[in-house]
Amino acid sequence: MARVKNWQLGREMSYWYPEARPKKQFAAIFDTNKCIACQTCTLACKTTWTSGRGQEYMLWNNVETKPWGSYPLAWDVRELDLLGPQHWTGDTYTGKTIFEAAPEGKKNIGWTPNDMDYAYPNRGEDEVNVTINVKRYHLKLPHDMWFFYLPRVCNHCTYPACLQACTRQSIYKRPEDGIVLVDQERCRGYRICFEACPYKKIFYNHTTRVSEKCVFCFPAVEQGYQPRCMRNCIGKIRSFGFVSTPANAREDNPIDFLVHVRKVAKPLYPQFGLEPNVYYIPPIHVSSNDFLTMLFGAGARHAIDTYRAAMEGDDPELLGALLLAVSTDRIIHRYQVTGDTVIGWAEDGEEVVRIPLKVPTIERAPFDPDLNVYRHNIT
Amino acid sequence: MSDTTVTSPAGTAPAGTAPAGTGAANGVSRRGLLAGGLAGAGALAITACAADPSDVSVSGGVWVARVGRAPIEPADAAWDRAAPTIVDMDVQVMVLPHRPAPLVAQIAVRALHDGETISFRLDWDDPDTHDLTVRVDDFRDACAVLLAGGEGDQGLRTMGSVDQPATLLHWKADWQRDMDLGVQGAADVYPNRSIDVYPPLISDAPRDLTPADYEAADATEWLPGLHVGNPLSASTRTACVEKLTARGFGTATTATKQNVAGRGERTSSGWRVVLAKPLRGIEADEFTLTPGHAHTCAFALWSGADQDAGGRKTPSKAALRLLLEF
Ligand code: SF4
Ligand code: SF4
Repeated sequence: MARVKNWQLGREMSYWYPEARPKKQFAAIFDTNKCIACQTCTLACKTTWTSGRGQEYMLWNNVETKPWGSYPLAWDVRELDLLGPQHWTGDTYTGKTIFEAAPEGKKNIGWTPNDMDYAYPNRGEDEVNVTINVKRYHLKLPHDMWFFYLPRVCNHCTYPACLQACTRQSIYKRPEDGIVLVDQERCRGYRICFEACPYKKIFYNHTTRVSEKCVFCFPAVEQGYQPRCMRNCIGKIRSFGFVSTPANAREDNPIDFLVHVRKVAKPLYPQFGLEPNVYYIPPIHVSSNDFLTMLFGAGARHAIDTYRAAMEGDDPELLGALLLAVSTDRIIHRYQVTGDTVIGWAEDGEEVVRIPLKVPTIERAPFDPDLNVYRHNIT
Repeated sequence: MSDTTVTSPAGTAPAGTAPAGTGAANGVSRRGLLAGGLAGAGALAITACAADPSDVSVSGGVWVARVGRAPIEPADAAWDRAAPTIVDMDVQVMVLPHRPAPLVAQIAVRALHDGETISFRLDWDDPDTHDLTVRVDDFRDACAVLLAGGEGDQGLRTMGSVDQPATLLHWKADWQRDMDLGVQGAADVYPNRSIDVYPPLISDAPRDLTPADYEAADATEWLPGLHVGNPLSASTRTACVEKLTARGFGTATTATKQNVAGRGERTSSGWRVVLAKPLRGIEADEFTLTPGHAHTCAFALWSGADQDAGGRKTPSKAALRLLLEF
């Protein structure tokens, strides 16, 4: 066991291997406030990577409704139950990680799902947190009754439980970009990874009898293009780029800006201890601070307050960083807000996107004489 | 061969005890184990030739009698010539995760050779049959024999060492079922499942498509394990035993030539499984066994019911000497 720094926990923790951060760590940010659960991301991934025999049940990308939804069934509550109480003292996690809570004979806590656990990807869809038992309900923010959509992919963790678990070293984290992959030649289907990953984002192919997982569309990423689930997001909730450690955060990197500078994007279940690299802007309408802390760690409420201020126009840099989401297929490495415009550049310095902070409103006449039709939507 | 010094262990060990259900006799005689004497400087030719198997058992080792033809079937009458060695089993504790306790305390090991091929038969208790690896939580029953240099060299028990590779024979219950019933898949577990299409294959009955159909259509990219040639993902199964070589934990590598045979059978209380290979190694790291010499062997079991895989197994407590009749 090594001692490694997990900045998401505000402390060191135990991990099997010493700290070995990649040269660059690709990361994503999902704005839960904008997701409409259209599942376009799910299908974009499904049709790209998992339409083969043996992959029928696999959703490397899935979107579940919280608080009740889960895929596989109850993945998170089962893990939380094994983990026991999870305490934060300020920004420091003082509970145990899944590595620190490992029972005798194992490197981590974990459990193995069965086929039926994957049979209900839409369980709990659109169900609110409590039973509606009042006649009239007046909306206010945050809501007492709420649900939200949680899109999920592999987190390409800094400290992957899957990688640590594999006794054959069939799983590796690429030093160039931090993408975590399963070597299809080396894997022997032991599924220790499958038991270990608390996010249950590693899957067993029942035809090839080896494990598979999200590859972050590395063939696209290597060429400077975003993964398919990101590019196809209808709600434009997904930002993709690279994340630094807090000490190396760059203000002009939109991901760093959202994660480290404004701290509006939070990891999912950071208390597991994997330092996941997919971040979430917490849902603004959820009234339960405890629930938000459980999902997104300390600072979730602060993230919401900062985010709402940006939406009210008080923070153009933040607004600009958020607006870059799904504005281009290319990976943005640098951005800048100039006046009413936000501009994004690729790694080689090429300008890949330029968009107004506020979309201009154009009013059109109800009748279009050129096409000889009446318009239904005139704004 | 440097591992050739064998001293007679006659009368040096207590009788073995057969585990329930293995059919092994209690109180196997340990007399007259190895006839012959020191031949030359440190080399010994083992020349025991006993008709009565109770005469040929080896203290701390497995005696491999020479027969006319090494059997491949578990029920072959030739096994009557092989005295069972009762091997103590334990948990593997060097690599996490491991089992809390061994699957069984002991197994019965028999071995025969015919000058060309060596056959092992392992008998052990396991009340449940787990011979599928199709569902995500299906794990297989399995067993393995480790062969290496030295003479019961304990340092090689854990998958050989960096300097001294081990050869492994690994029998898999799911491969056995693949052999008997055709390569198993979702169709065998969920016969009524519904499938619209398996791109890019065009078929009126996509439900019936098999990995072989992907191969025929040159579309194995859709089955990544098969595409890269992972032996677990093969579209056809030609053996239920896999030959591997290893140089320590986590290094087991499928041998390029699979000149192995074997067969497993359920008994009333568990499995009896034959694993066989030619004496002569043909891979760079493969160990060659020599009649009249002593080598190192070890054994291991996996239980599908307990989700055993990889290092989560029940290995023999110690490496044993493997003595081949000349
Ligand atoms: S989310 Fe799971 S599968 Fe992905 S890197 Fe982390 S531990 Fe591995
Ligand atoms: S495509 Fe975007 S908006 Fe649609 S479900 Fe996926 S993440 Fe949500």
